[in-house]
Amino acid sequence: MTAAGGGGVQGNQEWVTFGQVDGAELVRLVGEIDLANAAELGREIAARTRSARAVLVDLSTVSFLDSAGVRLLDELVGELDERDTPIRFVVGGSGAVRMALRLCAFREELLTDDVATAANAVRG
Amino acid sequence: MSDPTTGLPGTPLPDPTESFQVPWDDDAEDLYQQAPCGYLSTLPDGTIVKVNQTFLNWTGFERSALVGRQRLRDLLTAGGRIYHETHYAPLLRMQDEVHEVAFDVVRADGRRLPTLVNSVLSRDAEGRPRVIRTTIFDATERRGYERELLVARRAAEASERRVSALQGIVAELAAAPTEAGVAAAVVRAPGTVFGAADSRIWLVDADRELLVAAGAGVDGGGEEISLARAEGLAEVARVGQVRVIVPSADARLRFPELADTVIRDDDRTVLLIPLTAVTGSHTGETVLGVLAFGLTDRPPLEDQPRPGGEPAGQPGFTGGELDVARLLGHQAGQALHRARLYDDARRREARATFLAETTRVLDETLRLAPRARLLVSRLVPDIAGWAAVQLLVGPSGLYVEDGSPAPDPRGLADRVAAVVAAGGGTSLTDDGPDADVAVLALAVRGRVLGTLALRLRPGGRTALAEAVFLSELADRAGLALENARLYEQERAIAQTLQRSLLAGDLPADPRFAVETHYQPGTADLEVGGDWYDAFLVAGDKLAVVIGDVVGRGIDAAATMGQLRSAIRALAAAEAGPARLLERLDLFVDRVETARMATVAYGEITLSTSELTYACAGHPPPLVHEPGQSPRYLWGGRSAPLGSRAGRAARDEHRTTLAPGSRLLLYTDGLIERRDRSLDDGFAVLAEQFAARRGAPLPGLAAELATDLVGPEHRDDVCLLCVAMGTEDTLERQIGADPLHIALLRKDLRGWLVSHSVDEQIRQAVLLACSEAVTNSIEHGYRGDPYGVVTLTARVSGDGIEVRVNDRGIWRPADVATVRGRGLRLIRELMDEVTIEHDAGTTVVMRRGWRARPEVESTALGDGDGGR
Repeated sequence: MTAAGGGGVQGNQEWVTFGQVDGAELVRLVGEIDLANAAELGREIAARTRSARAVLVDLSTVSFLDSAGVRLLDELVGELDERDTPIRFVVGGSGAVRMALRLCAFREELLTDDVATAANAVRG
Repeated sequence: MSDPTTGLPGTPLPDPTESFQVPWDDDAEDLYQQAPCGYLSTLPDGTIVKVNQTFLNWTGFERSALVGRQRLRDLLTAGGRIYHETHYAPLLRMQDEVHEVAFDVVRADGRRLPTLVNSVLSRDAEGRPRVIRTTIFDATERRGYERELLVARRAAEASERRVSALQGIVAELAAAPTEAGVAAAVVRAPGTVFGAADSRIWLVDADRELLVAAGAGVDGGGEEISLARAEGLAEVARVGQVRVIVPSADARLRFPELADTVIRDDDRTVLLIPLTAVTGSHTGETVLGVLAFGLTDRPPLEDQPRPGGEPAGQPGFTGGELDVARLLGHQAGQALHRARLYDDARRREARATFLAETTRVLDETLRLAPRARLLVSRLVPDIAGWAAVQLLVGPSGLYVEDGSPAPDPRGLADRVAAVVAAGGGTSLTDDGPDADVAVLALAVRGRVLGTLALRLRPGGRTALAEAVFLSELADRAGLALENARLYEQERAIAQTLQRSLLAGDLPADPRFAVETHYQPGTADLEVGGDWYDAFLVAGDKLAVVIGDVVGRGIDAAATMGQLRSAIRALAAAEAGPARLLERLDLFVDRVETARMATVAYGEITLSTSELTYACAGHPPPLVHEPGQSPRYLWGGRSAPLGSRAGRAARDEHRTTLAPGSRLLLYTDGLIERRDRSLDDGFAVLAEQFAARRGAPLPGLAAELATDLVGPEHRDDVCLLCVAMGTEDTLERQIGADPLHIALLRKDLRGWLVSHSVDEQIRQAVLLACSEAVTNSIEHGYRGDPYGVVTLTARVSGDGIEVRVNDRGIWRPADVATVRGRGLRLIRELMDEVTIEHDAGTTVVMRRGWRARPEVESTALGDGDGGR
């Protein structure tokens, strides 16, 4: 896995970095995602994943996710589903993100525990 | 010498007596007829009876036309006849003779013959008048001489009048101390001396090569004429010669500068007089000004009498008048020169006073920007119409300007850059549009700090003329500003040092909360040596410190840092406050700048909430326990650190802090105010501290500082407040801005942690509150940035209750759509959710302590959720 470049919002504070894992686009989100930064993150992620073969979104270091953040992920899934691009979310076994996604009834198969599992799931 | 023999020596000369014989026939008749005077014999009634040939020759009359036909009086002019009637005839009858009576005889051709007449009346035996014998002398020559005498006398009288008037003027000039006074006196002179109606004076401004109108009725900014002009005033000023402008139709066109002032009419004769003086600045005379005036009714030169010895005049003016004019010009010039010297001396004195005063005034403020502003305000408007100080300090420099009009910015920037690049010096003028703007380097010890640019006061002297003054001004200003810059630099270092020392991490622990505030003294003071500190000792003890080092500035800040480190190093679990102060006394013996510093030091044993404290000359800590009045901790007192006069033994005191107590440490700046006694200060602080018992800890210290000393205060203020246990109620207000939600979550998370709320409930409450606040911002206020969202969270034995209030708009339709989505999530997360509509919308959420099985799934929204 190589971490390449990275966009960001809010000055030096980088909420998102991008990389590649086995030909899949890896989107790594950090910190708290809420109304304040969700829209900006959504635009940035959409731009990077438009032509991806598969997308992995690593949420394991996200400490807070509100409904605006859930909506952002939900829209991303919708767009990729339309293009038949596989997507997986990497979430911890518990924590704020899993709670928020569970509450919003994200399909269990979209949620994985680690990047390797997720990469396997979207391979070929 | 036609006869070569007459001049030869040896030739005898004829004896004059021998050959003395009248060479003509000297008969009486011939003598009478050809006498060198006229003879008239007349009857007592004046009828001419006999007349000699000489008289006939003179008068051109035939003898036959006179004898028996005319009387003497018939030959006289009208005036002569009257005189004959009233004086001559009566005198002759009374005295029998009349001598040297002046009569003008009218000759045959009508011309007049001036004569002097002597008459003798002879009488007969009975005394009756018989015949009058009259001799008549040609008085042409003599009368001419007399007339000349008369003219000369008149000229002398006029000249005397002029000289006398001139003397008056000279006296006036001598009494006028200033150039303006001299000009006013000079401009009055032509009226007194020549009877001129209009007169004007122009003074030479050698620096600017101009003639400037001055004198009565002309203010400082008089009309200006270039000295380079070819004709008229400028020419007179250059050449230094009196010039007469004779009346002519085009005079006003040729001399426009004089057209409306002294020429006025076509028949005016105008005299231009240079005002000259020997100034010593160079050889010969210097022209300091020009006086001009016009006169009407001046006859052309050729018609004026020219008495002998009178110097040559010019058209319209006699030589004597011109002499007086030149004299006037010279006297006025000398007076001007003297006045200028006097003016110069006064100006130099005023400049010296100004410079000294400026240095003194600038010293009154220490900081750079105020000093630069002060400098500019000193210059405008007394010295300059516009002035700007530009300093090469900091990342963006410092620029201060005042007055108007400001010069072209690009031109100014070029000149400033040139002066800076040259490493100093001045640019006194420029050939651009802002020639009257001078740019001076502000340099100290060869280093250019910046520039002072100024546009000299209009109508005043030029920068070139003021070069010495401006250079000295730049020197002084440069030094004053450099000192301020150094002060500023030291202040910045001290502040950085102080802030870096104060910024150390304060311990975060659910068992207590620490709030600090540092408020620097008013802008012009250096940083003080106040500090606060809090750290954990061996895990179970919280050490709290507040102290104050004597003095200000970088030394005080550095000393404060040393003491702070020393206390951290010396604090040990087993030592205690008194022992620590004793060790600090030893430390102070080696760090002299720390002597007499005051310190309040306390250790709180967190398991027992017991406070042990000691105060080394420091104001007593203030403690406020729930349900009680605040009290000052007056125990454990001893002298400041290293005090030689104070009590050497260090004392400490113990007290127990009830749960929920607040402890306040502070420096004396908080309670000392000039308009309040110290006792009142203590009382007010206790009162304010108690009044905020229910207020959240964050912001409390800053509010106390504001209330007790206000934002403008001389002294530094340092506060440290410890709250034992945590707040039962968390109350926060945020602006309706999505960026603030994260900050609110941070406080809420900390508060939940401090109440040992388990992670599952913590996450649920955080998300639920976040959604409620998001709803308020996004839908209640709909992006109105002035909206305020209030969150109140309270813990109780049963669980947590959170209220989120906004004053925005509630739309029932929202429930089903967007606003409802967040609401649904909240309902999933919390046990009980109610919505109150009362002055806005309040979402009230409750969550019990009992754990519940992890949420499996729920619907996110109506149609687009649930993937």
